[in-house]
Amino acid sequence: MRLDALARLVRLSLARERKGAFFSSFGVAMGVGALVFFVGLGLGVGAVIREKIFPTDARLVDVVPPAVSLGSLLGGGTLDAPTVERLRALPGVEAAYRKMNVRVPAVTRYDGVFFGTRLRMGMEVLALGVEPALVRGDVQLGEFQDAGEGQPIPALVSTRLLELYNKTFAPARKLPQLSANMLVGFGFPVEFNRSYVAAASASGPSRPGQAQVVGASDRALLAGITIPLDAAVRLNRAFGVDAENYSGVTLVATDPSQVPVIVAAVKGMGLEIDDQERRMAENSGAAVALTTSALALLSLLICLLAAVNIAHALSASVRARAREIGVMQAVGASRADIRAIVLAEAAVVGLAGGAAGTTAALLLSLGVNRLAAGYLPDFPFKPDSFFSFPWPVVVGGVVLGLVAALAGAYFPSRRAAATDPARTLAG
Amino acid sequence: MIQARDVVKTYVDGDGTQVRVLDGVSLDVAEGEFVAVVGSSGSGKSTLLHLLGGLDVDYRGDLRVGGVTLRGLGDKALARFRNTHVGFVFQSFHLIPNLSAVENVLLPSHFGAAPPDARARAEALLERVGLGTKKDRAPVRLSGGERQRVAIARALFGKPRLLLCDEPTGNLDAATGTGVIALFQELHREGLTVLCVTHEERMSAVAGRVLRLKDGQLVEERAGLQVATGGST
Repeated sequence: MRLDALARLVRLSLARERKGAFFSSFGVAMGVGALVFFVGLGLGVGAVIREKIFPTDARLVDVVPPAVSLGSLLGGGTLDAPTVERLRALPGVEAAYRKMNVRVPAVTRYDGVFFGTRLRMGMEVLALGVEPALVRGDVQLGEFQDAGEGQPIPALVSTRLLELYNKTFAPARKLPQLSANMLVGFGFPVEFNRSYVAAASASGPSRPGQAQVVGASDRALLAGITIPLDAAVRLNRAFGVDAENYSGVTLVATDPSQVPVIVAAVKGMGLEIDDQERRMAENSGAAVALTTSALALLSLLICLLAAVNIAHALSASVRARAREIGVMQAVGASRADIRAIVLAEAAVVGLAGGAAGTTAALLLSLGVNRLAAGYLPDFPFKPDSFFSFPWPVVVGGVVLGLVAALAGAYFPSRRAAATDPARTLAG
Repeated sequence: MIQARDVVKTYVDGDGTQVRVLDGVSLDVAEGEFVAVVGSSGSGKSTLLHLLGGLDVDYRGDLRVGGVTLRGLGDKALARFRNTHVGFVFQSFHLIPNLSAVENVLLPSHFGAAPPDARARAEALLERVGLGTKKDRAPVRLSGGERQRVAIARALFGKPRLLLCDEPTGNLDAATGTGVIALFQELHREGLTVLCVTHEERMSAVAGRVLRLKDGQLVEERAGLQVATGGST
């Protein structure tokens, strides 16, 4: 059967049964629309979790010394320079970046104008030294290296900390909103070996210093500042605390597929993996995926119901048109032609429903985003869009409508093709 | 044109009883003949027509129509046979209600190779049966006789050599039926082979040969009167 002839017969048939076709299409649109909407929501929220709240790099492995290690009594389980070299030499490791905490407490006391607002506050500061290469891409001011005693220490702040500040701390205290660019160059005093909440851990007096923000980084310490490794080593030495063993090492795998091998090797060395962030990301992602899956399943059930509805509608239509089908057979339609006509009718209904449902989902998501932007209070990591619609989701929605309709039409089309023209045309 | 040999058709009724509708029917129809098949209800006339037209393939015996042996033809080949070799005219017209007259005539073109001048040919056929001015009317806006003429035009669209008619005047009043009978006569005169199942005395009167079926068997064969009708298209 020629395509133009098929199209013509389908158009005529649908025009005659436009009401039934509309309701069948509407059912498909409901199911597809709900599915596309929820999948888009799940992907959008998942992307926020992955990219903003818990940004993780699939190639990074954070190695830390074990919390409790019998090996340490025998000289193992610490992250000293030879151990770092062994880690660097592991198969699949492209680079190893050392990290060292400043092992004395530190506080900052700020009393001055803070971006146009008078600010007077004091707080504990945690400082982590990292190798410059780990954060090189995020440094916007100067070289990320220790300039020596008496010079400002370059400091990176966490992009997530900045987000939390902007969305919770700043509004509550009527402080200005800040961007990473605004912060670059901002200096603040830091007093090492001093704490508001605990006794100093090293003997001797505290030492005043100055830190200068040089950028914001996803790899920076969340609750503190990230400084050059050399600065952390220098400060630890100055206070007579451990300046030889590292707090952690970030390994960069040559490929994400190498990560499990590296993890196994690291554990074999008596060390541990700090995968807290990754686990939180995975757990949050899993929760979103689970919720999305449940809603998607519900949507698929709607699609299934739509398919059943199409099956019922087409079955009734085929019964009502038995004589017409018989006439078509009498003038030259084969069983395949009859089957094609019924399936094509369903395909049009399904495609129309799929396209309408997908379009409705896209429009609804725009509405939700607009409402969220206008009425939801600002909160940390609030995205511009809660949705993500990659093209396979959009195309998949339309295809799902088609598949649901064709599935519903399968048995009616077979029944139509099995019409006995001799019986239907008798009399 | 038609060779039927020992054709037997049975079916199982609701009680599970096997009913023999056609019981060893053999007949020959030459090209260009006008044959009427008569008999009481249930004698097997329509069944014979359906078998000859390839609408029913569940039978025993041999059937050869227009040089085509029907036994063993697949569904597509049978569909092609119905599209090109035979034209059907039914008692109830069987027009598709949401298609106009000309679209009904064009229906066979959707299932075969459509000639480039398909619409022109359909319109010419409607002109031929006297409905040139009503080609765009829906069947519901045509009289019974006009509907049957549309059905005849549709049957002629594929240029068949054999016209199979099942009580074509059964639903028409006398005057309208006369006009339809005259149309069949005219088509026959132009060389078309016509096999017509009928109760209508006037139809059998214009046929060249009359076959009588009784209880599924051919019990009588006689020459028709070939009476000329007064009606015309």
